[in-house]
Amino acid sequence: MNPSNLHQLKKWPCQDIVFCAAASDDSSQLWIGSSDAGVYQMNVTEEKPQRVKLSGDGHSSYVTCLARCGSTLVTGSYDRKLIWWDTETGQQIRQIKAHDKWIRRIVTTPNQSHLISVADDMQCRVWDLVSGTLVAEFSDHSPVTPHHYPSMLYAVAVSPDGSKIATGDRVGHVAIWDTEKFQTNKQIETPVMYTWDPQKRRHSIGGIRSLAFSADSQRLAVGGIGKIGNIDHLGGPARLEVFNCQTGERQLELEDNKLKGLIEQIVWGPADAWLLTAGGDNKGFTTFYHPESGEILHQEPHPGHIHGLWCDAAFENFFIAAHKQVSHWSMAEKEA
Amino acid sequence: MNPTALPNLNRRSLLRLAGAASTATLAADMSSIEALASPALTQSLKQSGKRVILLWLAGGASQLETWDPKPGRLTGGPFEKIQTCVPGIEISELLPKMSSRLKETAIIRSLNTKIADHGNAYQLMDTGRTPEPSLKFPHLGATIAHELGQRDSQVPDYVTMYTSTEGRRQGAAGFLGGRYNPMFLTDQMMPANIKRLDSITDIDHRDRADLRDLMANIFERKQSHPMYDAHNSAYDRVRGLMASDHLFDIEREPQSVRDHYGPTQFGQQCLIARRLAESGVPFVKVARAWWDSHGQNFETHQELCADLDHCMSALLDDLKARGMLDSTLVITLGEFGRTPDINGSLGRDHFASAWSCTLSGCGIRGGSVFGKSDEDGKTVIEGEMNAGDLFATIFAALGIDHHKEFMVGSRPVPIADFDSEPCFDILA
Repeated sequence: MNPSNLHQLKKWPCQDIVFCAAASDDSSQLWIGSSDAGVYQMNVTEEKPQRVKLSGDGHSSYVTCLARCGSTLVTGSYDRKLIWWDTETGQQIRQIKAHDKWIRRIVTTPNQSHLISVADDMQCRVWDLVSGTLVAEFSDHSPVTPHHYPSMLYAVAVSPDGSKIATGDRVGHVAIWDTEKFQTNKQIETPVMYTWDPQKRRHSIGGIRSLAFSADSQRLAVGGIGKIGNIDHLGGPARLEVFNCQTGERQLELEDNKLKGLIEQIVWGPADAWLLTAGGDNKGFTTFYHPESGEILHQEPHPGHIHGLWCDAAFENFFIAAHKQVSHWSMAEKEA
Repeated sequence: MNPTALPNLNRRSLLRLAGAASTATLAADMSSIEALASPALTQSLKQSGKRVILLWLAGGASQLETWDPKPGRLTGGPFEKIQTCVPGIEISELLPKMSSRLKETAIIRSLNTKIADHGNAYQLMDTGRTPEPSLKFPHLGATIAHELGQRDSQVPDYVTMYTSTEGRRQGAAGFLGGRYNPMFLTDQMMPANIKRLDSITDIDHRDRADLRDLMANIFERKQSHPMYDAHNSAYDRVRGLMASDHLFDIEREPQSVRDHYGPTQFGQQCLIARRLAESGVPFVKVARAWWDSHGQNFETHQELCADLDHCMSALLDDLKARGMLDSTLVITLGEFGRTPDINGSLGRDHFASAWSCTLSGCGIRGGSVFGKSDEDGKTVIEGEMNAGDLFATIFAALGIDHHKEFMVGSRPVPIADFDSEPCFDILA
C-alpha cells in the first residue's frame, strides 16, 4: 500500500464532533461516537447515508472511543460508562460504570477475548469482552501532575502478539505491562509531550494522546504534541517518538511544524512499512512517516481536527472521525 | 456620640465615623476631587469594616464549565451539572466544593458586556465603564480603597497579586490619584523593597522622613497640585506599609490553615488575601491566569476549575469561620466568558454576550441566581446586566451609594456608570 495513493472517497459534514469510528469487515457499515452522546450506525454504501442511533439508555456525555468485535460493539464515554451493543439489532446489551472519571480510550486484545480501557481516574482496566466482567486493574500513573493539578490517562495500546499493554498519560509517562501478571516491565518518559507554563499562563497542555505497537510487538510509537509557546492554542509541533520496548531506547524522535497539533491516532502499516499519524490543532492532518528514517512519505491536511481513525485489515479503507465531519478514504490504486 | 450604642464598632470604625462626620477632613482628603454626595453617618456605618476580595479569572473563564452549565446541548461540552446545597441551583461538576457552599453566593448568569477582546474588555471590567480619552477612570480596587480605606490606616488600601505575566495589568487609580494605586505584587508574594535597609537605623529613617516632610511642606506652600498631595500621602503611609510585611508571610499561619488553602500559588495568595482583609485592607485582588482556552478548553478548565473550586471554597470557609464573611465581599470575575460554540481544537473563544460571575458574602443574598441565558448559552433571555450594573451592585452590597458622584475638575463623574442600577434581587 502506497501512502501517496491515499484519497478521499466520501465525506459527511455534520454539526457535532465525531470522536471515534469503526467499520464492518467489508467497510459497508460504520459506527461512530459523537459529542451529542449518541452512538450511530451508517450504511456508507448508500448515496446519502442516514445516521441511525443505536437504542437503549445510551451515554450521557461525549462518546470518545469504540471497539467492534464481530457483532458486538463496545463504546466508552466521558460519562464513565462502557456500553455493549448488538450491531445486528442496534440494541444495547449491557452498561457498566467502568471508571470514576472520563474514559479516554478502549482497545480489544488481538484474540478478541478482552477489552482494555483507560480513564482519567488513571486506571487501566481489563474486561472480559463477552461477559463484561472486570479481570484486572492496574496503574502506574499519578492522579496529579507535578504542579498539583488533575492528570489524565489518554492512551492505551495492546501489542499484536498480545503480550504487552502500554498506557500513556498527560505528563508524558508511559508504562508497558505484561499481560500475564499485569506488571510493569518498562517505563518510558516523554516529558516533551507535556508543556507546563509556570510564568505566563500557569497551566499545562499536551500529553500522550496515542500509542501503537509495531507488527513485531518490539517497538512502541508514542504520539502527542511538542513544546508549545502559547498554550492558549494547540500551536505546537505534532510529535512522534518510537521506542524499543525491551530496552526503552528511543529510536525515533520527530516533530512536524508544518501540520501542527496533537497526534491523536497512530497506525503501523503492513510489515511496518510506514507509520500513519492523524490529529491536528484547529484543523487536521494525516502524515505518513518512514519508521526507520522518519522521512515524511505523504501528508494531507484535513479540514477538521481528527479525533478517530479506523482502517481495515488490508489497509485499504480508512474512516476518519473529526470535528464536524466523517469521511471515507482509500489507499487502493485510484481508478483511471 | 455614645460608643455604648454601637457595640460592634471597633476603634478603627470609630475613627472612621469621626472622619466621616467631618466634612473638613473629607475635603482635605479629596483635594480637587470632592465627594459631592456627603457620606451620611448611616452610610459610613454601613461601610465600616467592609472589604472586598476579587478573584480575577484572567483571560476569561467559561461560564459553561463553571456557573451556567448546559449539559446535553452541543454547546454544553462534556461536563455534567451537579445539584448544589441550594435546591434548584445547579452548577458544573467541576466545582463540587462550591456546590456545597452556595448558600453564601449569588450567581449572575446574564452579563452582556459586548466587548470580547482582552484589552478593552479588561478595561471595561476593571472600571465598570467604557474608556474615554479625556478621563482615566479608576479601577474598582481604587474606588473601593477610596470609599472604604482609612486615612490613618497602617495597612495598604489596595493590593493586587498578579504573578502570571499574561494579561497582567496593574489596575490604576485613574482620576482618584496615586494615593489609591495598588501595592502591586508580581514576581513574589512578599512585597519587594519595603524593608528598611540594614545600613540605615530606625532613627535615621525617621529623621529622613521628617526632613522630606519639611521640604515637601515648603514646596507645597508655593505650588499646589493633586499629584503632589497624592505623592505626600503615599509617603505618609510608608512606615505603615513597611510594618505590614508580616501580612504577606503565610508561614505565620498554622499548618492546618495552610493545608486548607492547598499547595497551589493561587491557594497561597488567597490565604494572603484573607490575612490582608483581616488586617483591614479594603480591597485585595488575586489574579488567577490564564483561562484563555482557545485550545483544549475542557482540559484547561479541569485544571483551573480544580484550583478555583478548592481555593474559593477554602477562602469562604475561612472567612466564615472567622466571622468575616458578612463584612467581606468575594467576587469572581474575569474580562468575559467563552463561546458556546466549540472550535476545532476543542476550545472556546472569547464571548461577552451571555456570561457569568459570582458575588459571595457581604451584602449578598446567598443561594440566589440572577438572570438567564438561552438553552445553548448564546444570548441572555432574562435579566440582562452590563458592567455598570454589576459595579452598582457591588457598591450597593458594600453600602456605598451607587449614585455618588466625584467631581473631576468641574465634571461630575458618577461612581457607577451613568444609568446603572444595582441588582436588588441578589442583595441581602
